Amino acid sequence: MTSPSPAIAALNLTLTLGNGPGAVEILKGIDLAVPVGQALALLGPSGSGKSSLMAVLSGLERATSGSLSVAGENFAAMDEDALALARRGRIGIVLQAFHLLPTMTALENVATPMELAGMADAQPRARAELEAVGLGHRLSHYPAQLSGGEQQRVAIARALAPRPLLVFADEPTGNLDAATGQSVIDLLFARRAEMAASLVIVTHDAQLATRCERVITLADGRIASDTMA
Amino acid sequence: MTAALPWSAAWRIARRDLSARFRGLRLLLVCLFLGTGALAAIGTLTASIERELAGRGAAILGGDIEAEVWQRGATAAESKALAALGTLSAGTRLQAMASAGEADAPVALKAVDQNWPMIGALKLKDGTRVRAPPPGGVWLAEGAAERLGVAPGGAIRIGSQTLKVAGIVAEEPDSLSEGFALGAVAIVRSDFPASAGLMAPGSMYRTKLRVLLRPGTEPKAAIERLKAAFPDAGFRYRTRDKAAPGAERFIENMGQFLVLVGLAALAIAGIGIGGGVSSYLEARRGSIATFKVLGATSGDIARIYLLQIAAAALAGSLAGLTAGVLITPLLASALGTLLPVQTGFVFEPGALARAALFGLLVALVFAAPPLLRAKLYPAMALMRARVSPLAPAWRAMAIPVGLGVAGIVALALVTAADWRLTAGFLGGAAALLGLLAALGWAISRGAARLPRPANPLLRIALSYLHRPGAQTGALVTALGFGLSAFVLLAAIETSLSANIAKRIPARAPDYFVLDVPRARAAEFVAAVRETVPGADVRTVPAMRGAILAYGPPQQMTWVADLKALPENAWALRGERGLTYSADVPEGNVVTSGKWWPQDYAGEPLVSVDEDLAKAIGLRLNDRIVISLLGVERAARISSFRRIEWDSLGFNYVLVYSPNAISDAPHNLAATIDLPAGAAKTGLLRKLVRAFPASSVIETGALLRDARALLTQMSVAILAAASVTVLAGIAVLLGAIAAARAARLYDTVILRVLGASRRQLLLLQLAEYGLLALILAGVALALGSFIGWLVMTRMFEFDWLPDWPSVLGVLGGGLAMVLGFALAGSLPLLRAKPAQALRDL
Repeated sequence: MTSPSPAIAALNLTLTLGNGPGAVEILKGIDLAVPVGQALALLGPSGSGKSSLMAVLSGLERATSGSLSVAGENFAAMDEDALALARRGRIGIVLQAFHLLPTMTALENVATPMELAGMADAQPRARAELEAVGLGHRLSHYPAQLSGGEQQRVAIARALAPRPLLVFADEPTGNLDAATGQSVIDLLFARRAEMAASLVIVTHDAQLATRCERVITLADGRIASDTMA
Repeated sequence: MTAALPWSAAWRIARRDLSARFRGLRLLLVCLFLGTGALAAIGTLTASIERELAGRGAAILGGDIEAEVWQRGATAAESKALAALGTLSAGTRLQAMASAGEADAPVALKAVDQNWPMIGALKLKDGTRVRAPPPGGVWLAEGAAERLGVAPGGAIRIGSQTLKVAGIVAEEPDSLSEGFALGAVAIVRSDFPASAGLMAPGSMYRTKLRVLLRPGTEPKAAIERLKAAFPDAGFRYRTRDKAAPGAERFIENMGQFLVLVGLAALAIAGIGIGGGVSSYLEARRGSIATFKVLGATSGDIARIYLLQIAAAALAGSLAGLTAGVLITPLLASALGTLLPVQTGFVFEPGALARAALFGLLVALVFAAPPLLRAKLYPAMALMRARVSPLAPAWRAMAIPVGLGVAGIVALALVTAADWRLTAGFLGGAAALLGLLAALGWAISRGAARLPRPANPLLRIALSYLHRPGAQTGALVTALGFGLSAFVLLAAIETSLSANIAKRIPARAPDYFVLDVPRARAAEFVAAVRETVPGADVRTVPAMRGAILAYGPPQQMTWVADLKALPENAWALRGERGLTYSADVPEGNVVTSGKWWPQDYAGEPLVSVDEDLAKAIGLRLNDRIVISLLGVERAARISSFRRIEWDSLGFNYVLVYSPNAISDAPHNLAATIDLPAGAAKTGLLRKLVRAFPASSVIETGALLRDARALLTQMSVAILAAASVTVLAGIAVLLGAIAAARAARLYDTVILRVLGASRRQLLLLQLAEYGLLALILAGVALALGSFIGWLVMTRMFEFDWLPDWPSVLGVLGGGLAMVLGFALAGSLPLLRAKPAQALRDL
């Protein structure tokens, strides 16, 4: 029996932002393999490159060099549009600042990625997902009418509704108080477990990291440690 | 899963993302509304007038072709040849005096035969439709009837005959083709002028011969046949295609001006539209990034936002088109009697489609760059852009923007009445944009190199001009165009007023008298002086002739061979007034050559207006050939003269030596200057009685009419130019709104850091004040230059702006800019920092 191909396989990834003398080297040769269904925490101090690594792994940023395969797709060879297509339905992303579309209701926000992917049942699935995250009574509310915790729950519902293979979360509790943050994290872990999706979570919270099966610590753009729970 | 988002799904998402009240897109809406509205109104008006003139050509001319000749009737051979082409209607036009009881009035006498009118009918005030008047009767225009105090059934006297007023004219079918006349029309039978003694040799009358051609005969072919048969007849021909050349020329000139105004409004509105689209998409950058995070491709994003912009553009354009159609009657009413035809609510699909297409193309051109940025930059870069601005994607933009601009240029040129004028305008507008862009760059660079001021507010204000992501370029372009529009309007307005004051002389002769018999010249002068002692009477021989050819004897240029008249060579068009004189006419100065001696008897000589000489390249000793009463006469040019046209007297482009033309039958024209304070009592009455074949015109009424005409023209020009100012204001507002959005982040942070409202207001004031001061100079130069072009090149008025007023208006514009800038900041300053931070 052969082992299944990893959800993420990265080799010697680098990321440099800017040009010339102002160029900044953010990632300096990252090698990483994440098996399907694994929950991985990226830890590290500010500026260590953990959010940038997540952006590259999720296809939000293109690596400057190195090879990267995500969900069987060769991300390193893709342009912006191909990366967007590759994300559709397979990758769910939760960001620290929520990034909900301010002009759309909660239901519309959750339905949009599925509509972009051409799913016919986008609306009922969005409704079901919002009910699953406890926001069945907030379907027609706009982001400005929701609390921070509610907004992040909408963001989680939006990321998980298409049933992705991979979920990325960048400091998902960074903008929330401790109690709300805890409930949001419980929700995130519970929902992704139901779906058996891989999870990459960026955090500086060591306590939160312990809930993952694997913890990678970054320092100065390099992997400083890689431990299994 | 599909690669490209279907349009229906894109529209569903676009509609969700689009605020019902077009929040963020209002500037785009306003600019499109103004731009397309102006173009629609202007296009609708000119197209409907042109169509009216073209469609009613035969009715306006009163036939398919017309042959006109001065001071003679048609010969039997000419009448026979004309009659052979179809139905002939012959008539006469001349200036005459009508009197009834104690009242006198100049009238435009129109003598018509039984075939008149060959198309349509004359409509009387009582609603009846009639043809030529009954024997001994006259159809009298309302103005003349009022002045003479007569009603149908009353009697008036013209020349030596009494006529019965048979009816008052309501609508004259061929009035447009008659041209300018001193006095209202009086329509009589064709035998009347001769029987009333008005057609003595030398009298100034025109014979009009109109033919309704047999089916199948082309007007141009018929005219060619007549030209070949009567090469020396001196006829001036017209066809139904050019029924009212005077009116068409005016419409063409006014149409060109209006088209330029429309293009200017659209160019200024285009900047506003561009600013509106850019700032809208800039504000949506976060949403665009989120769409990318959620898996939207650049094609999906382009579809979503193109649909949004198209929806707003469509709404703005439709509102503009509706306003354009609704405003057309108002524009027509501002132009008033300057227009040859009346237009109500009209619908010109071509003009409206053109206006809408222009608006949409401009919107698309400006939407391309931000959408391309969305395509080229990763989602994370778009999210970081607020603090780390994205570099413009020049290479990627070149093709779509270039194609869009090419589309706009092609549409402007293809639909232009005068492609040279339009090309010139487009070139000028592009040059201006380039100039302002260069200025913006220079200001930005200059600000970066200045030493940092110690005052923190000034330091920040200065940094706003040059830091990455600064709005300096957009602000300079918008403020430059907007303030220039203010200067332009003020300069044109004050120039027009000064022209009216200058062109209507304070002191003009009290009377003009036409057709004074030459043999009774002394009697005429004596009659005037007897009635008003001390009156100054001047008489000049008055004839009419057409210039046939000019140039060196061996290389004469024949006017008939010219495809188009050279610029300013209006004297070559048709018959013009001629005179002869032993002395240099008063108010004229010989600028080169020599005047002939008093008793000159040699080769026929002529002195020519120096402006005409320049226009057609004449030199001393060249020849000019004219047709005078059907006879060709050649003369050598012995001098050029400068004419003071503003002196309201008799001024002639061609003045001959007496021996050259004095043998032709002719009458005299006279001016009468009364001594200051002298009563006019009885003079007009006495002259009308003693010289019944002469026309006496009081200048008071003439000056009033001229002033009214110029004032109306000035109102029309100003009304049209105001559109550009409206567009300019919209652009100013838009640019300030866009810049404010870009300042939002900084202002909130500064508030959080403890900046007071006063400090923040001062900051805005410093930035805009600095820019406005620099641009005031640019606007003054730019607006003045365009104003000068419009006044002197397009309308041939003098350039006489009142600079204090212009500067005052510019100051008002600057105050408005600062007012808008400060007013725009107030909501931001009133907001609590925590609230503002949440909204960032």
